[in-house]
Amino acid sequence: MVESGLRHDRGSGKAIVAEHLCKVFNVTRGIMHRTKSQVVAVKDVSFEVDYGELFGVVGPNGAGKTTTIKMLTTMLLPTSGKALVLGYDCTKEVTKVRERIGIVLGGERGLYTRVSAVDNLNYFADLYGVPRNIRDKRVKELLDFMGLSERAHNRVETYSKGMKQRLHLARGLINDPDIIFLDEPTVGLDPEISIETRRMIKELVDKGKTILLTTHYMFEADELCKRVAVIRNGEIVALDTPSGLKKYVMDTSVVEVEGYGITEKEVAKFREVPDVMSVSAELGEDKQVLKLQTPKGSEIIAEVQQILKNSRIYDIKIKEPTLEDAYLRLVEG
Amino acid sequence: MNSFKIFLSSAVFSFRAQFDWLNPAMWLTMKFVLSLSQMAFFVFVGIFAQADVRFIAIGNALQSVSWNTVFSVINITGHDKWDGTLTLVLATPASRLPLFIGRAMIHVFDGILSAAISFFFAAFIFGVNFARTNVAALIVAVILTAFTMAGFGLLIGGFCFFFRNPMVFANIFTFALLIFCGVNFPVQNLPTAIQPFSYIFPLTYGLTAARNAIMGQDLIQIAPTLVLQLAVGVALMLIGYLLFRSFENNARKTGKVEAV
Amino acid sequence: MPETFRVIYSAFRMAMLHWIADPQWVIPNIIAPFVFTTVALTLFRDSTGPFGLYAVLGGGMMGMWGNTVYSSGFAIEFEKWQGTLEEVIVAPSKLIHVITGRAISNALFGLTNMIAILVIAVAGFRVSLGISDPLMFAASLLLTLLSVSALGLIFASAFVLSRSAQALTNGLETPLYIVSGSMFPIALLPFWIHPAAYVLGPTWGIDAIRLATSADYVSQSFWAGLSPNIAIFLDLTIMILITLAYVLIATVLFKLVEKRARITGTMVEA
Repeated sequence: MVESGLRHDRGSGKAIVAEHLCKVFNVTRGIMHRTKSQVVAVKDVSFEVDYGELFGVVGPNGAGKTTTIKMLTTMLLPTSGKALVLGYDCTKEVTKVRERIGIVLGGERGLYTRVSAVDNLNYFADLYGVPRNIRDKRVKELLDFMGLSERAHNRVETYSKGMKQRLHLARGLINDPDIIFLDEPTVGLDPEISIETRRMIKELVDKGKTILLTTHYMFEADELCKRVAVIRNGEIVALDTPSGLKKYVMDTSVVEVEGYGITEKEVAKFREVPDVMSVSAELGEDKQVLKLQTPKGSEIIAEVQQILKNSRIYDIKIKEPTLEDAYLRLVEG
Repeated sequence: MNSFKIFLSSAVFSFRAQFDWLNPAMWLTMKFVLSLSQMAFFVFVGIFAQADVRFIAIGNALQSVSWNTVFSVINITGHDKWDGTLTLVLATPASRLPLFIGRAMIHVFDGILSAAISFFFAAFIFGVNFARTNVAALIVAVILTAFTMAGFGLLIGGFCFFFRNPMVFANIFTFALLIFCGVNFPVQNLPTAIQPFSYIFPLTYGLTAARNAIMGQDLIQIAPTLVLQLAVGVALMLIGYLLFRSFENNARKTGKVEAV
Repeated sequence: MPETFRVIYSAFRMAMLHWIADPQWVIPNIIAPFVFTTVALTLFRDSTGPFGLYAVLGGGMMGMWGNTVYSSGFAIEFEKWQGTLEEVIVAPSKLIHVITGRAISNALFGLTNMIAILVIAVAGFRVSLGISDPLMFAASLLLTLLSVSALGLIFASAFVLSRSAQALTNGLETPLYIVSGSMFPIALLPFWIHPAAYVLGPTWGIDAIRLATSADYVSQSFWAGLSPNIAIFLDLTIMILITLAYVLIATVLFKLVEKRARITGTMVEA
């Protein structure tokens, strides 16, 4: 892999600059009576990413993560605001930006399944203008790096999910970009493959790449990212290092209650308890799990037992708050 | 659910499905532009080749039923499989025959409409003289052709259950009619070895009957041809139905519906 | 900025690879031209005249049309179905260059109809076909192919900009066969259709191809009274000019397509 540093910087000093990005979609519904409405996907997002940083953007589905990435990668025109990548304007200097970034949008797509991995990579290398003399060498290196050399000439449709993911990633690196945008890279993957993917992401950062990653797995953001922006409803509600974010909930513990017979009624009651900052509930059929954030810690147990007196309690645990808890607090308000 | 209700709901469903897949703009295009331009193409080729233009115009006018009764029917049947709805349909207790036939019915009426429009074009744009026509006989010939060609469509559609791509079959069989059925030239112009195949298609008989009706023959005179056409049409429909049932049984045995 | 011809070639090659993987997808698009040509051959059989020029060459022309209307029309949607549209758009290459490669390959596959018809014509109908000027024949064929491809670009962008344009595909093919003078001289058509014929680049192309095949044809061509070479030159010049106009229109349409995609986030009109 070629080492790259600040090859293409315009001198702004920052790899990515998002300044009050906003995206509003006009949506027309209905066939007979056409009603027009506006959907604000991203209200106001601002942040900066340094060179060589692994920056995370987390948030629930529909929060605006993918829309933000699409604006930063020239796929969408912002309704207002500025997006600069490597100092180039994403709106006006589109080709310059596209030449220098890599994008991996994840999911089971982005590859021509009826042809081989080599053909896929060669094709995209041509679309990115990778010089011919470098192309073949780089394709081979990428396939080696991703562990796909043996099956390089087989059709992609014969690949496992994990192999497709790795090929996806290889395609995102075909132009040896300085900045790589990864949109939910491990979603839908088996645990071992996810671990492998995260290892590769870390390796890329070690080689000097800048990475912007979106995810809704908090532990992933915790493990990988130097800083994390939390997006909710099209706005950033927090931007800090993972440990900085955990401070939001440092004053609290998480009391995890596992039981049976717990319903929304009980959950609502918990929300009313003064010292409970947030409640998240998983109400399954066979059992229900509640997570209460409270500064009270073990003192809350008496109240728990009171509220759940008509239900069965299997277990109560008291835990240190994780990034996920911080996120839940930030996202559920 | 009684047979008639099944028949009716199957017909309505097929119509709606067609409108979903062919939106109204496409339906209108197919109705007017398609038949007119196809007739125009062959008429001009006929003029250039100094062939019988009247023969060509009439032939294309009747052949226009096949866009609905063959092309659409094959695609609707084929789509059922690929849209995954087939398993659900087969799981219902509904009696099979009305279900099977109901599906094609709306296309029969659509086909008759296509033919009517095309005959109109033949008369008023290409100047075919219909003065001697026995109208009743012609109408019967057209209606019967639409019905029997729907049977043909159901047969091929049923065949498609065993294969991947209904569109290929729909194209092949709708257009093959132009060669085999005496649409643009008499069946006798085909190589002798191939001529017998023409008589598998109900359209061949329909064209003979229709041409005779236009020349002035009445219903009684064209009846023998129509009877033959009906027999062929019913036979095709029955084979199609048997294929459909055999496919259903095969699916029950192997557990494969969607995966062929 | 990747080199234009490299992108076009790469897209062409990718289309070839897909065709090798799934050759059957071309069939539905070529059946109509094949059948129409076979019927024409049968109608021509009992008459005298240079019908080989029409049946075989016209058959190739119609094959190109048939495949271009559908395959090129849906070229951008094809990327969508593959799940690769966003990746292709976000590459620095221009989308129009990518689709050009694909459009050329589609026209080429359509041309295979000519070979099928040639086999039937020679074997079944005893048509004999010699080519009087092979070089000009090849050049005319190539340029006509490029002209059809350019039209394919217009279809590709138009079909994405408007769903109603897509609805027209079903009705577009046969009128094109008529108006391009593939199977009969345009002179036979009513005068008010003639402008539509002359506006199509390939109409001039097929005239040139026929001239290159048989020098006697010139009396029936657009340039009766001129020498075949001059006639071919005029045909090709006009076709090239028209094709350049197509490319210009397509360029504008593609810009609209990309702009719409970047504003609304979707390619196809809802």
